[in-house]
This record gives sequence, structure tokens and C-alpha cells, in this order.
Amino acid sequence: MFWHNFRYFIKCGFKSGNLMFWMILFPIILGIFFKIAFSDIYNDLTSTEPIPTAIVELEENKIFRSVIDTINDQEYKFLNAGFTDENTAMELLKKGEINGIIYSGEKISLTVAENGIEETMLKEFIEQYNLREKIITDVITKDPMNAEKVISELSKEREIIEEVPVTHGNTNNFDSYFYNLIAMSSLYGSYMGINISTKNQANLSALGARKNCSPVPKAVSLTAALCGSFFIEFICSVICVTFLAFVLKVDFGNRLPLVYLAAIIGGSTGVSFGFFMGSIGNMKENTKDGLSTAIIMTLCYLSGLMTGDMKAIIAEKLPLFNNINPAAVISDSIYCLNIYDDLDRFFTKIITMIITIFIFSALGIIMTWRKRYASL
Amino acid sequence: MENTVVKINNLVKRYGDLVALDHFGLEIKEGEIFGLLGPNGSGKTTTINCLLSLLTFDKGSIEIFGKEMTPSSYGIKKQIGVIMQNVAVFDELNVYENIDYFCGLYINDKAERKRLVEEAIAFTGLEDFKKFSPKKLSGGLLRRLNIACGIAHRPKLIILDEPTVAVDPQSRNKILEGIQELNKNGATIIYTSHYMEEVEQICTRIAIMDKGKKIAEGTNDELKRMIKNTETISIEVLGLDEKITGEISALPHIYNSEYDGAKLTVYCSGGKHNLIRVLDVLQKNDIAFGRVYSELPTLNDVFLEITGKALRDKE
Repeated sequence: MFWHNFRYFIKCGFKSGNLMFWMILFPIILGIFFKIAFSDIYNDLTSTEPIPTAIVELEENKIFRSVIDTINDQEYKFLNAGFTDENTAMELLKKGEINGIIYSGEKISLTVAENGIEETMLKEFIEQYNLREKIITDVITKDPMNAEKVISELSKEREIIEEVPVTHGNTNNFDSYFYNLIAMSSLYGSYMGINISTKNQANLSALGARKNCSPVPKAVSLTAALCGSFFIEFICSVICVTFLAFVLKVDFGNRLPLVYLAAIIGGSTGVSFGFFMGSIGNMKENTKDGLSTAIIMTLCYLSGLMTGDMKAIIAEKLPLFNNINPAAVISDSIYCLNIYDDLDRFFTKIITMIITIFIFSALGIIMTWRKRYASL
Repeated sequence: MENTVVKINNLVKRYGDLVALDHFGLEIKEGEIFGLLGPNGSGKTTTINCLLSLLTFDKGSIEIFGKEMTPSSYGIKKQIGVIMQNVAVFDELNVYENIDYFCGLYINDKAERKRLVEEAIAFTGLEDFKKFSPKKLSGGLLRRLNIACGIAHRPKLIILDEPTVAVDPQSRNKILEGIQELNKNGATIIYTSHYMEEVEQICTRIAIMDKGKKIAEGTNDELKRMIKNTETISIEVLGLDEKITGEISALPHIYNSEYDGAKLTVYCSGGKHNLIRVLDVLQKNDIAFGRVYSELPTLNDVFLEITGKALRDKE
């Protein structure tokens, strides 16, 4: 009976156009858009003239000054930065002689007059700087033994922007958007999880009612559906990562098998999250799907999918949240593959995901199994 | 036809303050086509859902095949086929796969299942639509698929909850014929509907429900014998005065008459040749009349007389 349910669940899953769109097509389409958009920026970053920028020092920030000096000293630089006072900088910005003003102080911020490719590059530069500064500060305070290694890796990455080939680390600063994309597509597995709950509960669907009338124990039916979902999610994750790695040529370094692992476990996290969501309340499947989408998009936003520096902000304001936000955990697991040599942090993230899967699945099964309904 | 298949005792089901089933009870014997008839909201579907252990209930007991029915009565469930009011099939699977899936929940043996699925397809006349997605089927065909999914495993007890809602007359007749055939093949049927014509047509015994209560039970004839009305005469006629209507009302076996200026309706209780006597009065008074109807009582009349309201709104 388990295999009968499992087989048909998989058949239904792969035949569901809606599900396949969100779990395979949508991430692929979004990945293509990311690639096109970031390729232009990346090409501009390495091929166009340096971007004229004014630096206004609100407070002394030696680290940032040294970064700017280093950039200015390079032969092929993307930034032509000059230090000045705020009034002069504003005048230059109004006249269009510079593309942006970077305010240097305890925090680094940016003011631009318009939206364009140069301004986007500046924004990305500031976001990356803030993110890296946060990583280094965190490592120094929490894990000083590995500080040298991390700083070395980050330095290598900076060199990549200068078109110097390096080791297994990622070669493009924009790749973190692809990591978040994998996280997002993994969490779309929640639609399948919601589907499991809906189609197994008599008060949520006619199919649920019919299944509840059959001689198949609900535990068998639920377990088969969960296993089927994990399998479908496995296939979708493999397709998604393969497409990003081999078609869009997103550089995952030389740890691609571990990226697959992170995406697969991440996908199962999405399924179990959806299963748990579906088990709560009597709302219709569409309502739950909408709610799930809203939650996923919020989690992805907070993990930095839409704004690169959001993760750093959350890390600073709510450090614990990044450790339990599934989107952040999934993208972090891939990100840290490119940052750290040892795999401790990666496996910590994987274990976090496995625990999440276990908790959500167990809660979902407990809430659905043996449920009798006061009303249908 | 003697073994009791379903026994419901004193069932009470409340939704908050609303009493959906009020000390409801019935007994269904093997081989019957038992009709549960009542207007929308009378408690038919709630009864079925309690019977199938989908719903909890506040009081009472339910036995099927002589055993108490609980959510984990898998042995009993194996012998029941359910056709719900709402179509319950997978849009992602084709007709054959849908039937195979639901049959597979009851039958493990692949070869036997294949045979049963083919039989169910033939029985519901879906041979030409095996590979069709449910989305491409018409309303009638979809209902037939819904039925095929519920009966493919050859259950001993088949429960059909308003299976003909929103179905065209041709498909409806096909479905009703199918139900009678299933019964001939040995299945006991519970059939709920608010269409009295269907219940009259196929059910061997009927329980009429209203507001969660069973208000009458018996065969079609037994139910009709419970009421005063035995014949309703309608005559299209103009210009009747009170003297003539009074003369008609005074005829033997006529207990009521109504005249709206264009149609005279006369209600009779027992007696023979009531129509001839009414027409004699009109002819004697030199009154011309148009079309004349004489109708025997329907279950709607039974319901009307017992509850004072029509079984269903005119559609």
C-alpha cells in the first residue's frame, strides 16, 4: 500500500504543471534573468571606465580608506574615488560629474542621484564591503583561530574582481544571489507539503475525504506522500543546481557535490515546512499556498535575495534569526562552502536543516494523523 | 435481504447551537437501495459523514456489518465504496490511473486490480476516455469517473451522496440505471438526494429527513399511504363562482379545493372516479374548461403534508 501511494504521489507531482513551474521553471527563468543582469554588471565592472565617486569621511575609518587607496592604486580599477567634503560632493553629484557619494564612518553608506548600471555597481560594492566587514568582525570575535584563513579567502575573492584566477572560492560577488535563488526554489517545496496535508484531510478536500474512507491508515498514506515529496524535491533540486552550474555557468567552486547536498536537504526542509503549514487550520489550499508564498518571500528577503546587505543587517540585529531562517540556512550552507576551507560550518547548517525537517514533519504527522473532524 | 448492514442508533450531532442530527436512527438491510431524502440542510450528508467516521458525533452509535464503525475500522472500510457529492479525483492523473489509484487502496493484487479497473470503466461507459484527463471530461462523464473510482473494488456497501447534482438528464439516467445494476449484482446501496423523482425511481426503502430528524420511513407506497391525499386534480377553467367551487368541495372524498381565477385544484382522499364527479359539476353548470390533470401523490406531497413545506424549491 505504501508503494502504491508513493508511486502515484510521484506521478501526480511530476504531472502537476503548477508544481513543476514553481519548482523547476521559475528558478531557471529567474536564474537566467539574474545571469543576464549580473553578466552586464559584471562585464561593466571589468571593462568600463572607472566610476567617478566622491568619498566623504564622516568619521575616520582606516580600513575603508585603505580599501579605497588600494583600489585607486590599481591599474584596472572600477572606481575612481576621491576624498572631499560633503558640500563639494553634493555639487559634483548635481552636476553629474560623479555617479555617487560614499559616506565613510562607522558605517559605509551611499547616495546616488539616479539609477543606472554604475550606480548599481556602487551599491553592490558597498553591500559587499559591509557584508565582508561583518563576516570578518564576527570571525574575529567568535572564531579568532580561523580569522586568518577567512580573511585570506575574502582577500582572494577581492582579487577575483581584479580578474585573478584563484582556488575553489566563488569567482563572482553576485553568486550569492544564486545561492539565495537555490534557497528560494528549495522552499517552494512547501507547495508540495501543503498539498500532502490538503489531500489527506477530510475537512480540506473531497480527495482527503475519499482517502479517509479507504482502508489505508493515514500514517501510511502520509508517510508515502512525504517520501514521494522528498523524492520529487530531490529531482527538482538536482535539475536546478545542474542548470545553474552547467548551463548558466554559476561558479560553485570545486565543491559542487556538497552544493547538491545542500539544495536537496534544503528542498526537503521546504517540503516539511509546507506539510506543517498545511496541517494548521482549516484554510483552503490556495489560501495556504498564498500564505506560504508570503512567508517564503519574507524569509528570502531577510536572507538577502532582494537586497544583498539584508543578511548582514539581520546578522547584526537578530543574530539568532539567521540560524533558524530556512532560506538563510540554505543559502549560508552554500555560501560557507566558498568561504571556509573546513566543512564544520557547512555540516552545522545541514544538521540544522535535518533537525528542521524532523520537527516540521513530526508536527505535521501528529496534527494530521488520527484526526477526526467536528465539521467538514 | 434480512441481514442488517447498517444500524444507526440515536445519533446526535451538533454544530455549536445547531442540532444537525437529532436522535436519528435507521436500519438498512442487505440488498436494499435505501434512500435518504430531504431538503438541503436536512442532515443527509452529515449522516453519511458520521457513518463513514469522518465526523465525530455527540451521542449514539453506528454499526456496519454488525461491528462498531470507528476511524480505524479498516476491515469494514474495505467493504465500503463511497461516491461523494463533490467529485474527488486527481486532475493530474488520467481516467484509467484515477480508477487504478483508488482501486489500489483496497486491492493489492495487480492482476485482479487491472481486471476490476477495466470492469469499472466498462460499467460506467468510459472506455473511450481512458487516457483523458479529468479536466477534459464533461460534467456527466466526470460524475461517472467519480462513481467508477468509488465502486471499482466491488464493495458490498455503496454510499452515494447526491451523485447526480449538476448532471444532465441523459447522464443522470445512466447513473441511476448503473446504481440499480450494482444493486442487482449484490451491493447494498445508500442513496442520498433531494431529487424525489430519483429516490422514487430507484429506492426500495426511503427515509425522509428534515432538520436532522427522520420524519418518515418506509417503501414508496407505504410513505404515500401515510398521507391523506390520494389524488390531486387540476383543471384550467375560467369564471368559476363561489357556488360552483362550493359544490365541488362538497363532493365526497374531496377534502380541499383551491381556485386562483384560472386553475382549479382539487385534493382528494380515497374514493374512485373523483375526476368524473368534478367534471360532471362543471358540465352541469355549463362551464367550459381547458386542460385537465389528475396526479397521484408524490414524495413531495408526503413531505408537504408532514412538514407543511415543499421538499425543494421549484427549479
